[in-house]
Amino acid sequence: MKTLLGLTVANLKGLTRDRAALFWTFFFPVMFVLLFGVLFSGSGDSSKITVGYVDLDQSAASAQVRADFALYAPILVLQDGSLDAEKAAMQNGDVSAVIVIPAGLGNVAGSTPGRPLAMTIYIDPSQSQTTQVVQGAVNGVAGGYSMAVATNGGAPALIVAQPQQLSSTNISTVTYLVPSILAMALMQLGVFAAVPLVQQREKGILKRMGATPLERWKLVASNILLRLIVAAADTVLIIGVGMAAFHIQIVGNLVLAAGFVFLGAGAFLALGFMLASFLKTEEQATGVVQVVQMPLMFLSGIFFPFNFMPDFMRSIARLLPLTYLGDGLRQSMVNAPQVAPLALDAAILGGWLVVCLAISARSFRWE
Amino acid sequence: MTQSGEPVIRVNDLKKHYGDVKAVDGVTFEVARGEVFGMLGPNGAGKTTTIEVLEGLRSPDSGTVEVFGLDVCKHPGSIKQRIGVQLQSVSLYPRLTVTELIDLFGSFFDHHVPTKQLIDAVDLGERAKAYSMNLSGGQQQRLSIALALVNDPDLVFLDEPTTGLDPQARRSLWDLVKGLQEKGKSVMLTTHYMEEAAELCDRVAIMDHGRILEMGTVPELIGRRFKERAVFFDTSPKLPSEKLAQLGGVTRASQEDGQTLLYSKDVPATIGALLAMADELDFQPHNLGIRQATLEDVFLDLTGRALRD
Ligand SMILES: Nc1ncnc2c1ncn2[C@@H]1O[C@H](COP(=O)(O)OP(=O)(O)O)[C@@H](O)[C@H]1O
Ligand SMILES: [Mg+2]
Repeated sequence: MKTLLGLTVANLKGLTRDRAALFWTFFFPVMFVLLFGVLFSGSGDSSKITVGYVDLDQSAASAQVRADFALYAPILVLQDGSLDAEKAAMQNGDVSAVIVIPAGLGNVAGSTPGRPLAMTIYIDPSQSQTTQVVQGAVNGVAGGYSMAVATNGGAPALIVAQPQQLSSTNISTVTYLVPSILAMALMQLGVFAAVPLVQQREKGILKRMGATPLERWKLVASNILLRLIVAAADTVLIIGVGMAAFHIQIVGNLVLAAGFVFLGAGAFLALGFMLASFLKTEEQATGVVQVVQMPLMFLSGIFFPFNFMPDFMRSIARLLPLTYLGDGLRQSMVNAPQVAPLALDAAILGGWLVVCLAISARSFRWE
Repeated sequence: MTQSGEPVIRVNDLKKHYGDVKAVDGVTFEVARGEVFGMLGPNGAGKTTTIEVLEGLRSPDSGTVEVFGLDVCKHPGSIKQRIGVQLQSVSLYPRLTVTELIDLFGSFFDHHVPTKQLIDAVDLGERAKAYSMNLSGGQQQRLSIALALVNDPDLVFLDEPTTGLDPQARRSLWDLVKGLQEKGKSVMLTTHYMEEAAELCDRVAIMDHGRILEMGTVPELIGRRFKERAVFFDTSPKLPSEKLAQLGGVTRASQEDGQTLLYSKDVPATIGALLAMADELDFQPHNLGIRQATLEDVFLDLTGRALRD
């Protein structure tokens, strides 16, 4: 255990003392966050929230409720439509929430006392600010309407807002990008690990270690441990910069997100090990590592929403593991709409990990 | 030299081939406890291959290889605890300091020498905080030796410890090796410098093309072949060899690299005859000199070529 830690610390020192390595591991992703953040934040009118409005009642009473929303006109813009159309609009990010006025509103005065009538609102919990505004408005209107019915001598009635979750793409571009950039950083972290390994083999460092009683598994384990520590540091750094500079909100499941961070780092580290198994010189390694990471970076749909990509690019992206790491991180961190179910993301990354590790175990040469 | 008890190294008919290349082709030798044993040979002779089989880094094709009486293939772990290894190419983490590297390597062993003590032993005190990549060649080599001594080994392997070093750095390394011997450690080293073998080794094996051609103490090796002394001089065009061999007192003659060597039982007679011949054939024997035969002569005689081709 002491040996393992010592070795990991030695590797960590090697990394932090190497400017080029530091640049790629920490500075490069942060630069991406800042660059994209500045480019994409502040676009769009953020002072008003557009909300889908579905009137299933179509009565005088529902017209009255519609009119009551006028009070919130400075912050809410209502867009009328059918339930299906508005829900689709929300999923596409055209509206931030959908308010549904139930059928039977006109008869609420005559309805059975004590049975509340539900006014459904579709909201995306990751959009906490929007959610608060919409819920506040709906509660206000519903309360006001109930009160009016009662004071006009009707039976006491109750209309309540009933929130339902619906994921929306309408997360800001920066919020979409930060987990994507994290995915990129984890990919690079793993793939770039091939370079020091090849270097250590070429210089005979691995061979020199082989002449000591140090067990090989410790050498491998310390490399893995090092990369996982750096992965954790990168995650904190990238998310931290995103939160501090662009107020992105991490609303998802943190345990799940951490799971994807480590699974992703592991899968790409395995890819790095595999590359190191086939590369002989450091120069070869630095070249090949770029040739591998560049297409991954640009063809995996991590910088533009998957749904916006042309068909042929989407079919390429579906083959690349980074697509699934990006998807898993976005789903688990900011509730972004999915490219694949989380279980599939995890399974594909796990598959890469196992296959690459198995190939490395067979082909890795120590000298 | 104290040759007591079990030899620390025992190699019997070791073979290691790489495809058609017979890197080591049937090598047999022993190294006694406390002995400094040298393998002398040109590049490609098979020295590194032999030493790395002993270190447990390569597996032999055939033959038996024992260190401390243990089969290296069966007990690599316990042997590695007790040997010190310096590989031919210096190979260290570039961005760790001297102190950090010694600490790290120490942590791989059950027992290790205090770092400070080792740094002083190899005289790297002033560079203790320097990254290994910023050390000079000689300093790197001394660090490499410090790492080989980190576990206070009974047996130390040094593969061409002074190749590429300037004469001063070479001297300081020689002193280190002599210090090891004084402490009673067994050392096996390889070199292609005959002065180094002559200076450091109790016994030398001369190796070429994967085989040991001759083995013994340096005086033995020379004495076995040369009772004569060598007369040497520079010649630019070659001289007729038959004539050289017939000069007075000469037993053998060779011409290599513009230098002519005459092994002679009777040096004054040889020089007289040589000068007469120089008059007759009209050439100048430049840089004429006389010396004892050396390991170099032994190698030349064994292989027909100079050691430093
Ligand atoms: N790993 C290897 N693969 C192929 N050939 C090798 C390998 N190691 C050594 N050789 C060959 O074996 C011969 C002996 O090499 P080596 O033991 O390094 O000699 P030395 O150390 O005396 O210079 C050389 O011809 C070398 O090319
Ligand atoms: Mg060698």
